[in-house]
Amino acid sequence: MARRPMGRVSIRNLRAHKVRLILTVLSVILGTAFVTGSYVFTDTLKSSFTGIFNDAYKGIATHVEPAHSYDAGIPFADLATIRRVPGVDRVAPGVERPAALVDSKGTKVASGGAPSVADTWTVPADRIGDPTRFESGGPPTRSGQAVLNAGAAHKGHIRVGDRVRIVLSNRPVLTLTVSGIYRTKTESGGYIGVLLSPGQARQVLSDGRHYTSVDASAKPGVSEQELTARIAKVAPSGLTVETGTKLRDDTNAQIQTALSFVNYLLLAFGFIALIVGTFIIYNTFSMIVAQRLRELALLRAVGASRKQVRRSVLLEALFTGVIGSVLGIVGGVGLAIGLRELLNAFNVGLPSGSLLLRPRTLIVALVLGVGVTLLSAYIPARRASSIAPVEAMREEFALPSSSSSTRRTILGLALLVLGVVLTVLGATSSSTSHGSALIGAGLLGVGGAALMLSPVLARIVIPPIGWVAGRPFGRPGTLAPANAVRNPRRTAATAFALTLGLLIVSGISVIGASAKGSVEHLFDNNVRADLVLTAGQQGTVPQPAIDAAAKQSGVGSMTQFHLAFGLLDGAEEAGSGIDGPLPAVLALPAVSGSIAPVGNNLVASESKARERGWKIGSMHTLTHPGVGSVRLKLVGIYQDSQLAGAWLVSGATYRALTPANERAAEVGLIRIAPGADLSQVQSRVEKATNPYYVVSVDTRTQFKGQIAAQVNTLLGLLYALLALAIVIAILGIINTLALSVVERRREIGMMRAVGMMRRQVRRTIYLESFLIAVFGALLGLALGIVYGVLFTKLLKDQGLDVLVIPWTQALAFLVVAGIVGVLAALWPGVRAARTPPLAAIVDA
Amino acid sequence: MTTTTTQIAARAVDLVKTYGSGGTTVQALNGVNVELVRGEFTAIMGPSGSGKSTLMHCLAGLDSVSSGSVSIGDAELSGLSDNKMTALRRDRIGFVFQSFNLVPTLTALENITLPMDLAGRKPDREWLDTVVDTLGIRDRLGHRPSELSGGQQQRVACARALASQPDIVFGDEPTGNLDSRSSAEVLGILRSSVDRLGQTVVVVTHDPRAAAYADRVLFLADGDIVNEMRDPTEARVLDLMKNMED
Repeated sequence: MARRPMGRVSIRNLRAHKVRLILTVLSVILGTAFVTGSYVFTDTLKSSFTGIFNDAYKGIATHVEPAHSYDAGIPFADLATIRRVPGVDRVAPGVERPAALVDSKGTKVASGGAPSVADTWTVPADRIGDPTRFESGGPPTRSGQAVLNAGAAHKGHIRVGDRVRIVLSNRPVLTLTVSGIYRTKTESGGYIGVLLSPGQARQVLSDGRHYTSVDASAKPGVSEQELTARIAKVAPSGLTVETGTKLRDDTNAQIQTALSFVNYLLLAFGFIALIVGTFIIYNTFSMIVAQRLRELALLRAVGASRKQVRRSVLLEALFTGVIGSVLGIVGGVGLAIGLRELLNAFNVGLPSGSLLLRPRTLIVALVLGVGVTLLSAYIPARRASSIAPVEAMREEFALPSSSSSTRRTILGLALLVLGVVLTVLGATSSSTSHGSALIGAGLLGVGGAALMLSPVLARIVIPPIGWVAGRPFGRPGTLAPANAVRNPRRTAATAFALTLGLLIVSGISVIGASAKGSVEHLFDNNVRADLVLTAGQQGTVPQPAIDAAAKQSGVGSMTQFHLAFGLLDGAEEAGSGIDGPLPAVLALPAVSGSIAPVGNNLVASESKARERGWKIGSMHTLTHPGVGSVRLKLVGIYQDSQLAGAWLVSGATYRALTPANERAAEVGLIRIAPGADLSQVQSRVEKATNPYYVVSVDTRTQFKGQIAAQVNTLLGLLYALLALAIVIAILGIINTLALSVVERRREIGMMRAVGMMRRQVRRTIYLESFLIAVFGALLGLALGIVYGVLFTKLLKDQGLDVLVIPWTQALAFLVVAGIVGVLAALWPGVRAARTPPLAAIVDA
Repeated sequence: MTTTTTQIAARAVDLVKTYGSGGTTVQALNGVNVELVRGEFTAIMGPSGSGKSTLMHCLAGLDSVSSGSVSIGDAELSGLSDNKMTALRRDRIGFVFQSFNLVPTLTALENITLPMDLAGRKPDREWLDTVVDTLGIRDRLGHRPSELSGGQQQRVACARALASQPDIVFGDEPTGNLDSRSSAEVLGILRSSVDRLGQTVVVVTHDPRAAAYADRVLFLADGDIVNEMRDPTEARVLDLMKNMED
């Protein structure tokens, strides 16, 4: 029975300190939940995507595709060549093109971030992998028929027999009858795949001469490598011939890279929660130990060894850590589900596989959760064990505090100097990547210094703020700031959650606001167009839509920008092909020569010309392998412009190098005719482009608004981070205040005895909390804004040439922090106010 | 010098205080009747567990009573809301505790004026000067409690109790933590506040030497007043206590 007396003491203590332990457990839960959620979410996505692609690529031994995305592809004739290669079993060609799907009611079916494509139906004889399974209907048997994947069909409420439309870049909108709805093994949320009959697909999707890819399977006994080597021998040059394994590996690697951002972001949430959790756990155990000093001393007096006392405290920490971590893991799984649902609600289109909880996730979460708890409880545990047995008999208790504030300050100052030096080096660096790495390292140093020095800073910053904020409250108003800096280390640790949160949020909001401001500035100063034609974020404007818009009355001029990729003198480059007058829609000051991209002219930006050593009059070759090449003469150099990009060629050059079926405009810019009414022209152009479904026609103001909205959506993510920082901060403040209230119990009792009203006690606590929160917020805002400005300046060449500091937003953050402080103090305040006056005299 | 010695500063009628409930009830005060006279120095004595501290807590409005009534001057305490009770303690009662008398973040002067500051009242400068000079703590006013000796801290506590000119000053073992010299100083201060300023002082103590400073000593045992002595001396108090034990 009595073999483990100290263990029993630990468990009984856990029960006795429920409320306080709930806070501790909560902070462990928050941290481990984000770590778990991050892994579960990304693991699940990775495995789902891997499943999708492994399924889609099942049985493929060799994959052939053009070496560059702008290359023509695999000539029709070479399909027969590949078929004849010994060991080839089946060969499936593809003619995939991006396509928007429009349902029978004329509404575009959204794919979110997932691909929306049209491709060819692979006849069963050529089908590699498992045969296609139909949910309803059957394969397309003739031109004008198509099959749809089940996900897209459900989303658009499309049934077999419905007439749907697909919008391609350079064709009239195509009307198709749905002959069947097929199933993919793992349905990705947003993916749209329309498959046309092979004949029609070749006719409307290809350039009439090339496939975009060819897959081959191997006969039994022929290895992937063998088959791939054989096909590579006969394939024309300019093609990539790779094994099915390589194709699957590459795709998986791409998924990993794409998801790592999400992974890191969520892990960052988790680590912030755990760092702040460390303080909370430390505080909680300090508080429990402080309250139990006499009891611990008694245990020592009756024969418990130091080790046993230390262990009993650590055992409590172990229980707390395990409970918190287990609950955190459960919460993390919930978080992963919630995140997927949330993202799917925004049509992001994530696959819906079953959740994947890898052993690694469990181990990391448990080790982190329990480890952080034990580590944070170690100092209080050691302090507990250092209590002399004789203390049990003493009247007064003073916790032996481990004071090394001078060492801490010196370390902080050293870090500060290091951080500032790195930052200055970074800010004055000429290279963006070097500079940002240096500033990032500097930020780490300065952030660490802020943590080290914030006890000192609290003593400097809080009294004046407290003096101002406390004035209306009389004596309680002056007690609060004094209390807030009584244990500056604790105040600093408590405020750090808000400091960290606001540092990140305000820093990024400076960059975001500057990005928005820069784009608007750029647009205001350089764009002269009255109307802008675009097709969503990734889409291109179909050529016929542009042509129809240009014909409307009131349209003075139409200028199109085409995306021109290619090998320029052998090196891959991206520029634009221009149709229509340039100066009418875009201000582009010339540095030398004439900047009219007409005929076989090439004009380049100043920095591109310098980079490649181009001079006016020099000759260059732009090549699209498999399509052709054009000799160009550099006739002008313009000032660098975000809108014009690196170089410009004529629309004729673009068309000479781009197969007819791929031609499209990135953007169409309209200048209205003199005297024409803008809104009338806009509605006429809208009417003319409506049959193409994907085109939006915006005035300059509307377009700027759209860009601003995009930046705002991104900044919206930040508010999630801020919300988390606030939740953690509230937990931390509640914890710290509860600790302070317990420690000051006799003092509060005495003040109650000599006449402090309950509401005055509460106000003192609210104000103290408000000051802690505002201090943390101010520190975070100051650092965030400074570093936001530094990063913005560094990114000047990337187009962030207008610096905008969102002061109103910063002020709002500060107000929110103050409110959070008061909210967090509600419960501790009420608790403190309940202190009976007799607490001053007896241990009541 | 005061002439209202016959007036009653505080009164308890049939005062009962019980702790706990059910089978573990402890009766700390067993129907105490007492009147504390204005302008007098009263000491309450008794062995541990006699209820002397409980009596003081109830008289001072620090603890609720189970039955009976307590009044300070003309104010009946039972049934007062917490706010009214707090205001009464703040404005009409002074306290000197055994320890934990002072707020560590406030200076000595700020501690002295704390009750008045809490009430939002301006202290009477002249009176404050008188108290500060009488207690000899003028050169300590700007110091924090941690910079003061135990005796100085208790003198500051006395100054706080006297500064707001309360109806009555309660001391709960005010010299319990002090050496004999500091004890004599603090008791001398309380004594002279009665003699020179007409203050009413009630002190709970177990020290016969402290009780000897009083005009009147009340002896408690088992929750009731069992004896009373006027103009006590240390020897007579010791004698009586010895007799009580026998």
